[in-house]
This record gives sequence, C-alpha cells and structure tokens, in this order.
Amino acid sequence: MISSNLSNRLIFIFSLFGLFVSSFLLYEYNFASSVVCPTGAGCDIVRASPYSSFLGISIPILGVIFYLGMAVLSVLYSQKSFQKIIFKLHLLGSLVGIGFGVYLTYLEIYVIRAICFWCVASFIISMFIALSVIFRRRNENGN
Amino acid sequence: MKTETKILGIILALTVALLVGGVFFLSKQSTSNDIKDATVYQIDYSKGQKIGSDSAKVKLVEFSDFECPACAAASNYTKKYESGENPDIQFIYRHFPLPQHESAKKAALVAEAAGEQGKFWQMHDKLFETQFEWEESKDSTAFFLSLAKELGLDEEKIKKAIEENTYAAKIDADLSEGRSLGVNSTPTFYLNGRKLNFKSFADLNTAVEEELKKSN
Repeated sequence: MISSNLSNRLIFIFSLFGLFVSSFLLYEYNFASSVVCPTGAGCDIVRASPYSSFLGISIPILGVIFYLGMAVLSVLYSQKSFQKIIFKLHLLGSLVGIGFGVYLTYLEIYVIRAICFWCVASFIISMFIALSVIFRRRNENGN
Repeated sequence: MKTETKILGIILALTVALLVGGVFFLSKQSTSNDIKDATVYQIDYSKGQKIGSDSAKVKLVEFSDFECPACAAASNYTKKYESGENPDIQFIYRHFPLPQHESAKKAALVAEAAGEQGKFWQMHDKLFETQFEWEESKDSTAFFLSLAKELGLDEEKIKKAIEENTYAAKIDADLSEGRSLGVNSTPTFYLNGRKLNFKSFADLNTAVEEELKKSN
C-alpha cells in the first residue's frame, strides 16, 4: 500500500505519459500520412482497420480525454477536498481504462493480427494508473 | 489553493500547451536515403501485373499477399500508382502468398483470372478492401465469386480457374523469384531494383518521389 499523496502523484505522472502517447497518436492519425511505429507496419495496419474508432470517435481522442481527465482529477485531489468522490472517479476511470485496453489488445492480437506499439504503450500506462489507484491506502480517503 | 495543487496545475497546463503547440508546429522531415538497400537486384521486369509503360524511368515492384493485413494497409499508398497517370512510373504487382495464409493463393488465382478479363486491378482493390470479410470465411470461393459478380466478370471462368488451378504456375514463378531475391515478408518493395526497408508506408511515396526527381 502507498500513501494517498504518492498514489495521486503517480497517477498524475502516468497520466502525463499517457497524454503524450495519445496526443502523438492523435497527431499521427489525423495529420501524418503514416504512423511512425517502432514495431514495423503494425500501427498502420491497426489504423487502417475498422477498429480504429469506437462509436465513431477516433481511439486516440478517447485516449486524450481519458488521460486529461485523470490528470485533472489528480490536480483536484491535491486540493484535499472532495477526495472521497475523486478517489471513486479515479477508480472508475482506471477500471474503464484497463477494460478498454484489454478489449483493444485482444482485437490487435486475435482480430487485426497486428501490434501497434503506441497502443500497447498506452495500455501499459493505464495499468500503472490502475495499480496506483488500487494500492492507495483506504484510511486516508476519509474526508 | 494548496501549493501542490498549483504545481500540478501548472505542470498540466504546460504539458497541454506543449502538446497543442507540438501538433501545430511538428513538421515531419523524412528522407528516404537510409531506406533503400545499396544492392541493385536483377528483377525480371517482363513478369507480373503492370501499370505504366515498360520504358518508365522509375519501376516499383511489390511482392504482396492478398491475405496479409500489412499488404492491405500498403495498398492505400500504392493506389496512386494504379491510375497510371504518371508516365515516368511503372508499378508491378508480383504474387507472394505466404504459406500461413490459407486463402492467399486462391485469392491470387482469382486476381489473375480477373486480369484475364481485363480487371486485375479492380479485383486487387476489392480483395484488399474486403480482406476482413473473406480471410476467416469457410467458403472463400463463394465470396470471391460474389466479388467477380460485383465487378461484372464471367463467374464461370473465375470458378474454372480456381478449380483447375489455372494460374498456379505463374504464381509459383513469382514466389520462387521473390525467394531468390530474398523476399521473406510481405509486402516487399523494390524501387529500380533496390529493396526498400521502411518503417512507415508514407516513406514509400517519399522514396518514389525522390527517385523521380533523381531520374529527371
């Protein structure tokens, strides 16, 4: 277990990393003609697939919204007010993030059969965020 | 407001500003110098499905597999050469169906049979566009015949080509030339005989444009 302050700072830092990754993908999806991908053509294949958007929204936009939301919640949490509700929102957000990451990784491996490096990086970051939330000491959320 | 809130808020604001600024000002400078293999391979340009003149200054050869997802992604970048608008470019498609792709060879046969009726490139595009639909299909033949119908082709001829394996020798010849050139994955591109090793398909278009400039 880690202190709530440390947990909140970790969530903030990981959210910034996630924000960088999803903003980069957002740029690559919308402005660049092809995705720069350390794992070869995987990112291009994933982008070209029908799964690059969810309910009509480009996946990187969802990523930016998710990480920005988590970071803003961390800023609010540091204010030491409404911590109980912010903790619940952090928990809910991180579980949704993990669930979505599992779904996207499943699609990449079994349906699209190509791995997008940046999508996996984002999934790993969302796992670290979830761990930081889950291992937060409960007794410090009393106010 | 607490000090930590101020610090985190400032960091977040700076990060967002940096990212927004980055999106606006990021300009990608890509050069194809490092993506072309130094060796010039001797390719048999008389073979394959071609678009463009044999006397074109720039010859782009692709070894591809209709069932490979990367090839489908690459087809978005090769489409511009299928129009044959630029007389200085010749685009050649060669078959390289990978053994792990069950319907790839059949798809290649269908494309060749469509080519016999003058519609290779239309079938080429259709096969890539619908790859998600037929790659897992238990009856890919029926799907291919429906594509043939859609393109206004003689379905009986396509069916016969599949049943009799009519173009197998041609496809195998492409495969063995590809292997002798060192092709081990798809898609593999050769630009005026030099193998391209790029990380991103956009580099393909950049490399072709640079080759065009060089040849003019």
